[in-house]
Parts: sequence; structure tokens; C-alpha cells
Amino acid sequence: MESLASNGHSHHQLKAGLTCSVLFLCLFSIQVSGAERAIEIIDEMEALYQGASSSATMTMIVETPQFERTMEMEASSIGTEKSFIRILSPRKDRGIATLKLDMEMWNFLPKINRVIKVPPSMMMGSWMGSDFTNDDLVKQTTLTDEYSLTLEETDEQYAIILVPKEETVTVWGKIDYIVNKEYMVPVAQNFYDDNGEIIRKLEFSELRDFSGRMIPSRLEMIPMNKEGNKTIIIYDELKFDPPEVDESIFTLRNLRSRF
Amino acid sequence: MLLLKLAFRNIFRQRRRSLLTAISMAGGYILCTFSFSLSEGSYNNAISFFTLDHTGHVQIHKEDYLQRPKIHKTIDDPEQLSEILDSREDIAAHTLRVFAPGIAYSDTDNSPAQIIGVDLERERTTSTLEQKVSSGSYIGSDLDSDGYYSAMIGAGLANSLNIGLGDELILISQGADGSVANDIYIVNGIIGNRDSPDRNTVFLPLVAAQEFLSMYGRVHEVSILLNDEGDSRSEASLLQEELQDLSVAPWQVVESTFYQSMQTDKQGNNFSMGVIVFLVFVGVLNTVLMSVLERTREFGVLKAIGSRPTKIALMITLETGLLASLSVLMGLLISLPLIGWFTAVGFELAQPMDVGGIVMSHMTGEMSFYVFAIPLALIVLFALLISIPTGIRAARISPTEAMRST
Repeated sequence: MESLASNGHSHHQLKAGLTCSVLFLCLFSIQVSGAERAIEIIDEMEALYQGASSSATMTMIVETPQFERTMEMEASSIGTEKSFIRILSPRKDRGIATLKLDMEMWNFLPKINRVIKVPPSMMMGSWMGSDFTNDDLVKQTTLTDEYSLTLEETDEQYAIILVPKEETVTVWGKIDYIVNKEYMVPVAQNFYDDNGEIIRKLEFSELRDFSGRMIPSRLEMIPMNKEGNKTIIIYDELKFDPPEVDESIFTLRNLRSRF
Repeated sequence: MLLLKLAFRNIFRQRRRSLLTAISMAGGYILCTFSFSLSEGSYNNAISFFTLDHTGHVQIHKEDYLQRPKIHKTIDDPEQLSEILDSREDIAAHTLRVFAPGIAYSDTDNSPAQIIGVDLERERTTSTLEQKVSSGSYIGSDLDSDGYYSAMIGAGLANSLNIGLGDELILISQGADGSVANDIYIVNGIIGNRDSPDRNTVFLPLVAAQEFLSMYGRVHEVSILLNDEGDSRSEASLLQEELQDLSVAPWQVVESTFYQSMQTDKQGNNFSMGVIVFLVFVGVLNTVLMSVLERTREFGVLKAIGSRPTKIALMITLETGLLASLSVLMGLLISLPLIGWFTAVGFELAQPMDVGGIVMSHMTGEMSFYVFAIPLALIVLFALLISIPTGIRAARISPTEAMRST
């Protein structure tokens, strides 16, 4: 668990964190300030599904008042910087793939044999018609860099409130991040706009044991401004540090390869 | 009969004055017919242009697709609807369409495009799409030997994508089920030129577009051509009664911006015509009054020898009416060939005019009963109106006073 947490840190933060901790250790008892702890928790949560590297198969269900669509896909990732998703079914969409490298994102459409870069203006656009945005996949906004965090604690939960730092341009006006203390897993995220109005909710449920780690296997994204719309992601399989995931997956060449 | 004869004589007694009055009335009449003919002709031209181009006379959609188009607002059973429409005698033809915005790609470029899927066979008889093919041919709805559908693209799109006949066109859009719609088509026809309204449109066979957008068998729009444009509103409301769960709209609603600016323009036109006729008749009133005043002694004598006041008033009215009719007849003789030429030839506008999104580039007149009859009725009516107070004035003349005056 410790290793997971430190993975999310950048070197800079790690250094700053260390200095701080040492200072605190020296001067006071072993206690980390609320904000520091909050950063730690968020980083741990954000790295939860990735690990050092991971591979997963999942099912995505997009529900709208007009239709319901189910897609199966496989995903691989190294850290939070690199990820690769390929749609396995339905047949019509099979082979459509998305590659994310750092802040950039490409989609591959096998039917027209073409790689299309997702322009920055489309980052808030829907990913494959779901309620997840491209930005959710790319995580262009690193939460701990761009938001100030406040930690609130109950017996069972951490509630971390993220408010954009001054002078940063962020997508959200506020995010509530609720974490289950016992398993150290996310429970819910509420996203607000600048007027404090709730825009969407992401709920985590159905804890499952993946490689010895209890992780919520079901994610539900509910946009509050579109009645009847909902996207569910179910993790069918999640492996950490699998041998088959290496750097060669996260290349445009691999993205382009017919499947 | 005697009165009529008298009225006639009175008109011709002062030939020059009558002629001048007649000319001003005839001029007013010609101006009116010309203006009516122009606005009716130009607008009817524009109306038949866009109804045939794409709008049709009546359109059917699901819910408020017309105001807020959403890909899922579809007519789910177009085949049954087609059967109903085919069986109606007032309907000349109809066609089925689907719409979606998308991005078109060639190997090197990309451009936003409006994708329209049309029932190619039905479209042929409903709109002028086939005539708009400027190169290549009107496509068919079959797959080619490599398994690709054909497409017709606007000339502007062909230009910005740098592709021509036989080239591959890649389209990307969002399907009705939220999926990524993407496919390759072969360009087999170019529509219009780089200035036409369809310049960024991609026309696909209906089945191809339905497959592309994952909306199998469903359509967004049914466009109907009637035998008579004038029936648009009544036919629309008849169809609406029959098709409760769909929205039926005549072209006046579909092209409401155009229709409203047209109505406003016509009203403004009618108003200025009214002002012109009014000014003409201020002059005519003056003439009629003059002729009554200078004949005060005559009327006095007439009354003295026993003419009834009503007869005198009637005579004045007859005089004016007769003069107006003769003027209008003169005007008609002049305006007939003028408007005839205007209708047949017309003239081109130096600067095309945009009326509520519809571009009018040519001015032609219209030759119809309406164009001639309305100004005619207007002028005769006005003439009779002004003859009433003057007639009454003449009838009230007292014989003694009249004969005493010089």
C-alpha cells in the first residue's frame, strides 16, 4: 500500500513531502497536517486502478432514455501517464482503440483505418458516447496540482474537498472526494460547476478482491443535468504488474495495428 | 340611361382636364399592378425554388425535430407512412431523409459536413437534387464491388478536401446509439458549385446513412410535394389529424423566417401602394370638386326644372366612376404587355437579396387575375368613395342661390 501511494507522487512532491514529514517528525509527534494527508489519500486513490502497471477487462454500459449500449473492452496502463483501451464488442465497434500518452490522446477507427488525435477542445467531449469525458481518461488535470485540498474525517470516511487553486484554470468549481477508511477505496466523487451546482456524480461500489487488493469493481457516472443518462463501468478482471504489459503497447504503431 | 349619357358628355366636355385626371389614375393603376406583380412573382419564384429544392410543401417530423433536431427524434415506421402518403391524391410525391452533422476526411484534409441520407428514387421526383448534380452522376443505393456505398458531395466540400470523382471520402459522426459512426464512401457525384447552399453537404443513399448512424429503418424527415402549392396549409392540417403522434408542418412553418419576412415585406408594400393611391385620389378629388363647383349654375337650373337631388348625386358618382373605369382600362392596356414582358423575361438583381435565409437573385413578375383585379377594385372603389361627398354637395345646391351666383 505504501508503494502504491508513493507511485502517485512526482519527485518534486515527494521531496517536499519528505522535508515536511522530517520537520514534523523532529518538532512534534508523528502527525501529518490535514492537507498533506489529503494529498496522500487522493494520490493513492487516483493510482488505485493503475498500480505500477495494470491490465483490465471491463464492461461499459451506456444508458440513455433512448437506448442502452454495452461494450466490452480491454485496457492496459503504466502508471497514470500511459494507457491503452481497445473495444472488443459489439462487433460494429470492435477494434476501436484509444491511446493516451501523458497529456495527449488518439483514437483509432479500424473501419476507416485512421488515427485521429483528440484536440484539446474535445477533451470535455464524450468518450465513445458515454458519460465519461476524454479528460476523465487522460486525467489532464492532476487533482493534487491544481486544487487545494481540505480533509474532513468521520469514523468510516474521509471527505476531501477540492477547490481550484487561485490562478489555475480548472474544469470543475469544486469536487467532493469521499473515501472509505477501512479499505482505503473511493466511495463517491461529486463534481460541481463554478456556481456550486452539482454537475455529475461518480459512485464506486461492489468491492472485489483483485490480486489481493479490495477494489470497487463497479463505477457509475451519473450526469445530473441529463435525466435518464448513466454510464456504468464494471471491472471484470484487473491485474497488477502483469508481465504482458510493456512499453511497446503504448505506441501509435500499436494503436494502428489491425486487431 | 339618360344619366349615363349625361355623365359621358360631362366627362368629354372638359377633355384636357379629364385626360389629366385619367392619366394620374391610370398611372396609379399601372404602378399598383407592377408592384403587385413584382412582389408576387419574386416571392412565388423563391417559394417554388426552395420548396422544390429541398423543403417540399409539407414536412413530417417526430416531435419538435424542426426546432430542436436530435438524432433520436425519429419517425420509426416510415414504410407505413409512405403507404399512407402514396395513397393520397393531393400528394404528388414524397421522400424520406435522415440528417446528421459530421466531419469529412480525405487523405490530407478534413472539414465539417452536413450529412443527409435520402431515398434516392423518391428524391428524384420530390426535389431538384438530381438536377443539381454538376459532375459525375446521380448515385444509386447499391454497394460497389469493393463493398462501399456511393456519395454525392457539395462542390465546396470537394474543394476543401481536395477530392474528386472516384475518390474515397471518410465520414465520422456520432451514431444514434452513441457509438462512433465512421465509414468510407466513394464520391460519385458533385452537387452544385462552390456558392450553392449545398456546398458542404454529403448526400448518401438512405440505407447507407441509416447504417452509418445506427438508425436502421428510421428517418428524421418526410418531405412532401403537393399537386398545388396553395393547399399546403390545409393538407398539413388534414395529415396532422391522421398522424397524431407525428408533427406535420406546411412550408410556411418550416421556412418560418422566410415566410415572416415575406409577409412583413408584402405588408410594407401594400402600405406604400395605399399611400400612392391616396395621393392620386387627393388630386382626383380636387378635379371632381372643381367640376362640381364650376357647374353650380347648371345644377341650380336642373333642380329648378325638377331634377331630384338623388339623380344629381347619382350623376356625379356615375361621372367619377366612369372616368375611373376608363382610366383603369387605359392602365390595363398599357400594363398588360409590360407585365407580360416582365413575367416572361424579368431582370437579374445586381446584388442577390437574402430573405430569411433564402437567396433571391432574379426578379420576375407574375401575371395573374389577382395582380390586375386588386388594384382595379381599389381604384374604382376609391373613385366612388370620393364621389359621394361631392355628389351630396351638388345635390344640396339650392336653385335660387345657384342661379344668382356667377
